[in-house]
Amino acid sequence: MQTHCPIRRMMCVQVMLLASFLGVRAGLAQETADYFRTRCSSCHTIGAGRLTGPDLKNVVERAGASGKDREWLIRFIQDPQAMIQSGDAYALKLQRETPGNAVMPTQPDMTRALAGSLLDLIEAESKLERSQFGGAPISLAPFTPEDVQLGRELFRGIRPLAGGGPPCISCHTVGGMGTLGGGRLGPDLTLVNERLGGPKGLSTWLLSPPTPTMQSLFKVEPLKPEEIHSVAAFLNQSAQQGVPADMSGPLTFFLLGLGGAIGGLALCDGIWSKRFRAVRHPLVHGQREQGDE
Amino acid sequence: MNVRAQISMVFHLDKCIGCHTCSLACKNIWTDRPGTEYMWWNNVETKPGTGYPTLWEDQQRYRGGWDAEGKLKSTGKAWIVANIFHHPSMPTMDDYYEPWTYDYQELFNAPEGPDQPTARPISLVTGKHIDIEAGPNWDDDLGGSPVYAANDPNLAALTPEQRRQLFAIEQLVFFYLPRICNHCLNPACVAACPSAALYKRGEDGIVLLDQKRCRAWRACVPACPYKKTYYNWSTGKTEKCILCFPRIETGQAPACFHSCVGRIRYLGVLLYDADRIHEVATMPDEELIEAQRSLILDPFDPEVLAAARGNNVPESTIEAAQKSPVYQYVKVWKLALPPHLEFRTLPMLFYVPSMAPVMASRQGDTLDHLSQDLFHDIEQARVPIRYLANLLAAGSEARVRYALRKQKAVRWHRRSVTVGDVDAEVVRRMLREADCSPEEADAIYRLTALSTFDERFVIPPGHREMGVETQQDPLMHKQQAGFGFIAGPRRGL
Repeated sequence: MQTHCPIRRMMCVQVMLLASFLGVRAGLAQETADYFRTRCSSCHTIGAGRLTGPDLKNVVERAGASGKDREWLIRFIQDPQAMIQSGDAYALKLQRETPGNAVMPTQPDMTRALAGSLLDLIEAESKLERSQFGGAPISLAPFTPEDVQLGRELFRGIRPLAGGGPPCISCHTVGGMGTLGGGRLGPDLTLVNERLGGPKGLSTWLLSPPTPTMQSLFKVEPLKPEEIHSVAAFLNQSAQQGVPADMSGPLTFFLLGLGGAIGGLALCDGIWSKRFRAVRHPLVHGQREQGDE
Repeated sequence: MNVRAQISMVFHLDKCIGCHTCSLACKNIWTDRPGTEYMWWNNVETKPGTGYPTLWEDQQRYRGGWDAEGKLKSTGKAWIVANIFHHPSMPTMDDYYEPWTYDYQELFNAPEGPDQPTARPISLVTGKHIDIEAGPNWDDDLGGSPVYAANDPNLAALTPEQRRQLFAIEQLVFFYLPRICNHCLNPACVAACPSAALYKRGEDGIVLLDQKRCRAWRACVPACPYKKTYYNWSTGKTEKCILCFPRIETGQAPACFHSCVGRIRYLGVLLYDADRIHEVATMPDEELIEAQRSLILDPFDPEVLAAARGNNVPESTIEAAQKSPVYQYVKVWKLALPPHLEFRTLPMLFYVPSMAPVMASRQGDTLDHLSQDLFHDIEQARVPIRYLANLLAAGSEARVRYALRKQKAVRWHRRSVTVGDVDAEVVRRMLREADCSPEEADAIYRLTALSTFDERFVIPPGHREMGVETQQDPLMHKQQAGFGFIAGPRRGL
């Protein structure tokens, strides 16, 4: 029995369209969530309190209460630095509330559409009782001296990282790292705890580091939660001692290098001491000197 | 028996007048380019003297040649690792000399003054004014002899008395030693080259250097005990005497031979046994001369000829070997001796030692310039036999004495033939003592004094057409030769 019902046919088409549309939407939503996890969640939670950046639960409503519409938020997400530099009062207030007056980093791949979907995501997650971004799987256990010791070993590379990533000391230094200090590529980490809003912020930050260098190094070889806990314990302790890295480190390094270079050259000079041997000059001038005597 | 052909040379030192024409002929043809100014592929040295580069004969300093075990003195597989960028025994530019020209404008532009203007010397290396300290023949005619001649390495075995006499006023003596590449049978330069750029040509034994393969290691420079490979600092390649092979191949004598005013130079083919080179090169010093002579084969011996033909030596080369003046001087008459055979490269350039006759003798406090003896006793020669033996006979005085005695006998014989004022019996005794027949004496006289161009230079036909034939039609090649571009040597790979 073959019927030609135009209405049913149209409904079929509509269902198919809707399904595909929802599928795309669902795919988009997943991408946005992944983006939030890798780029935002190290500083922001949704409903689990402030890390470095503010808790984003109901951020649209809060902004609305301060007279800032959704458009303002999109502009802020796109380029926070520009907003602060433009002297926007609300942006400056947000910066003042952040530990260490840190500025939210501008994401180079941020687009208007992406900022919109992020806001959509935040609004959707705010409505949930327990958001998937409601806190990271980080240990909040108190730090023990063993944790500190383990963290120190991990930092210095004495104990390798389980994921195979490079040890912290190859790029960073903290106070009390000995004569030569650590690397100078990354910042001094002595007071990093304060900059990132305490051990909790630091741990979350380490779980998915947002900066380009750290990201490229630890995206494939992420730190284990227990490693994060130990390193955070060590950095927490170094922040409490508050002694910044010894500034003589680079000078010592330079002097050692200089000494090594001079020593090496002196050694070569000794080994190849006959290289300036000449025949005619000593023959002629040696003879003349003998004749003069 | 592995019979090969070698173009060899004899320089008759008694005829050399030290005019340097050979050096200039060579310089004008081959080393008149940037980077080669300091090179003298042919140079003429005054002996006693230190030569060019200074003290080249002193292998304590330059470590050239082979040791008695058949190993290179200059380098080794382990040694090269620690000295790969700098060879400590390399002659420096100062050991040769800094080449210069003159700033002739100074002659015209000098302001008026009480002195004659002079053309100031300019370095050809730096382009700056220099004070000349040395040249390629700085000790020419015993110039600066207390420094140069007195330090001649060949004087080593002389007694202090002999040395004193050698340099006493009115007794000073010197002779000239023209030097080119010896085109050795056992060349140290070829062995030392890590790039295999040096090779000994199969057909005539000329040692050549491929400018395209040379990688500027300069290993050949210390390795050659005669210091006859030169590094061109402009092209970054080493160069050496090529025995004017383009001239040889077209039947002409090399430029230095051709231009020699004293006609001291002889060139001809020798057949030799290549299988015995290693054996000969590792013999004790005192046996070296005889051993090298035994390498040279008789070009009339049917066995040798059969082996030569079996080795594809062309018939024309065999004919040239049979007419070779070098074979006469070296093997038949044993007059010509190789320089410093103890360096063990088996040089194929031989020297007839000079007689250096006594021109004056001391009689109490006066000098008598008339010698009683027409041709003096060779033991009284002003150049000590010991000195000549160190230079030309690997220390063997007997070989030098033999060569000098025979030359003296030839002179007495010719005196008796042409003037007739000497006792025939004395002449016969002298010839007998010198191991020389009157016919041989006449032959020696003829080749030494009267020889024509074609007798002095017996050049085997080059047979380039046979070489070309292996690549393309010789007639086609003849039409094309001379067209296209010649790629000059370029620094680097």
